[in-house]
Amino acid sequence: MNEFVETLLELTWHEPKSSYDVVIIGGGGHGLATAYYLATQHGITNVAVLEADYIGSGNSGRNTTIIRANYGIPESIRFYQHSLDLYSTLEQETGCWIMHATKGLLWLAHTESAMRNERARAMLNTACGAETVLVDPTEIKALVPQLDLSGGGRYPVLGASYHIPASTARHDRVVWAYAQGAMQRGVHVLQNTPVTGLIRDGDRVVGVRTATGDISAGVVMSAVGGNVSQIAAHAGVRLPVRTHPLQAFVTNGYAQGFGPIISDTELLCYISQTARGQMLIGHEYDRETSYSLQSSFQFLQANAIKMSYLLPFVRDLKILRQWTGRCDVSADFSPIMGFTDVDGFVITTGWGTWGFKAIPAGGEAMAELIATGRTPELIEPFALSRFAADHAMADQGSTGTR
Amino acid sequence: MLIITCPNCGSRPVEEFRFGGEIPQPPESITDPFERDLDQVWMFTNVAGVQTERWFHDAGCHRWLTATRDTSIDRFVD
Amino acid sequence: MHAPERLDGLRVVATPDALDHAWFEGDVVVFRIAHDEVIAFGAVVAEVPDEHAIVERETAFVGWGLSYPEFDDLVARHVEWPLPTERPALAQGMAAGLPVKLWFEHDRVLLVVSSGFAHEVVERFRLPAFAESVKKQDTRRMRA
Ligand SMILES: Cc1cc2nc3c(=O)[nH]c(=O)nc-3n(C[C@H](O)[C@H](O)[C@H](O)COP(=O)(O)OP(=O)(O)OC[C@H]3O[C@@H](n4cnc5c(N)ncnc54)[C@H](O)[C@@H]3O)c2cc1C
Ligand SMILES: [Zn+2]
Repeated sequence: MNEFVETLLELTWHEPKSSYDVVIIGGGGHGLATAYYLATQHGITNVAVLEADYIGSGNSGRNTTIIRANYGIPESIRFYQHSLDLYSTLEQETGCWIMHATKGLLWLAHTESAMRNERARAMLNTACGAETVLVDPTEIKALVPQLDLSGGGRYPVLGASYHIPASTARHDRVVWAYAQGAMQRGVHVLQNTPVTGLIRDGDRVVGVRTATGDISAGVVMSAVGGNVSQIAAHAGVRLPVRTHPLQAFVTNGYAQGFGPIISDTELLCYISQTARGQMLIGHEYDRETSYSLQSSFQFLQANAIKMSYLLPFVRDLKILRQWTGRCDVSADFSPIMGFTDVDGFVITTGWGTWGFKAIPAGGEAMAELIATGRTPELIEPFALSRFAADHAMADQGSTGTR
Repeated sequence: MLIITCPNCGSRPVEEFRFGGEIPQPPESITDPFERDLDQVWMFTNVAGVQTERWFHDAGCHRWLTATRDTSIDRFVD
Repeated sequence: MHAPERLDGLRVVATPDALDHAWFEGDVVVFRIAHDEVIAFGAVVAEVPDEHAIVERETAFVGWGLSYPEFDDLVARHVEWPLPTERPALAQGMAAGLPVKLWFEHDRVLLVVSSGFAHEVVERFRLPAFAESVKKQDTRRMRA
């Protein structure tokens, strides 16, 4: 947080208490949205969100902000579509300008088999209530005049699935909107407060340890992004999650408007234009697990080349910034939300490279779960217990997970 | 640039290799055979520290090798 | 510079010790690609003292013979790892994004790739392509 941000928002900072009904570890989108919905929908405000650094310092402030519902299995499409709907009314609800903009997303196909995939995606999405149609090269060209339909001679564009309601929003404004809404209702948000351990009473988790003292809690929720395995280990919980770096970069401003978001599962990269006019380019996650936030030249090189096949104009742009986040990638590429085998300890994780779009629906569902002690129907398929039940939710529905 | 030393081919940039992940190690504390299998198949220690892991030399000898890497800084150790 | 040759031979998987003592008939170049595997280009018959040895015909590689000035000019700058100094020597790894095998002899270097990458080699290293006549010729034997 800095002065500029503080003047935009009405935030009231508190001294930590020694006990709360709910302690949420991690002040990213998921942690703060859960606190917000606990307060707004369930009247539970004796809640603290403990953030190691500043709010939004994790992936929620580092992502490429794509909000979409065109996933690969019905359970996911339904969940993400609900999140997309919540996003579209979030400005009204919170009174905060999150710069939400509907852009549409084109998922390009360069081969016949990719065309079959996109056709199947469009049909499945439509059947599950997410608006996706198949478009041909002429229609694509009308949406993105800059696109080289020959793909630099290497990646000819045969068609695409077009997910019409896909959108973007300013990531840190989403974090701040939820933080402000929660704090206005009495939730404590404590920055620079890393959780160093969990307090256990027999089989139960009953609180957290911090450098400034122990805090007891009725329920502890982990929403720590890529650090989830460490927090869960304090509770003796092992997770089907690996932490992978994900990188992205932006160029300097591109003077022309650039309509939709373009995604490419064959080239494993995607691009959109930010509100400032910069071209924002992302890619699949780094293959080796790591907690390092070091960005690589190899990543820049590979992506700059790939994008220039599709959009020759990017050759004339300059790379402005490059950065990395730590992603909690689940073994089946679906989120993991809900109870663990340990009483008093719930988790929201497995958000990998795709969890920004899920912040509203994930937060809302976790708040209901904590408030009622029951798993909401919408997230039942995403329980941790699915792995033991041999019911993994394999969904390689993100650009980088194929 | 990260360098891996392949016993067959010598020192090569990491881009020549495919990552095979941490070697699954169900903790001793899990004794039930079903729980051990479950852990072996699905769970990861995902340590932020030194990890023993497998790499496949894709651009060279096509053999798996074992390496140790500190995942908190992404550097090989030894 | 010459057009590439198709390299035929035998691929053998056996114990490391058996491979140390293997014998191949003919005018062969033997690539020890791993401790337990060799490709013997030019070989038609192999004797390997390992009853479990796997011996298969290998026809999936092509090679370009380059003089050292040609190698230095066209290939060496694409290699981002140290090249061997002894002769003969095999080096395998990535060059210009392609998995290559390099065989260093006293007076020439053989650049070998899996034939699926042949056209990429031509493009990326600016090496000569297959001539139509070469394609049809049986080049089971390599010129030394
Ligand atoms: C480059 C990049 C691009 C992405 N693009 C997209 C996209 O286009 N669309 C999309 O939907 N998703 C995208 N994602 C994924 C998305 O950003 C994440 O899934 C999402 O932000 C996760 O939110 P979170 O609240 O779970 O985690 P985070 O935002 O990472 O928050 C976790 C917080 O926990 C804190 N924390 C960690 N350990 C502790 C501790 N011990 N004690 C206290 N606090 C702790 C961290 O400091 C952090 O602030 C992208 C991610 C990256 C890195
Ligand atoms: Zn090797």
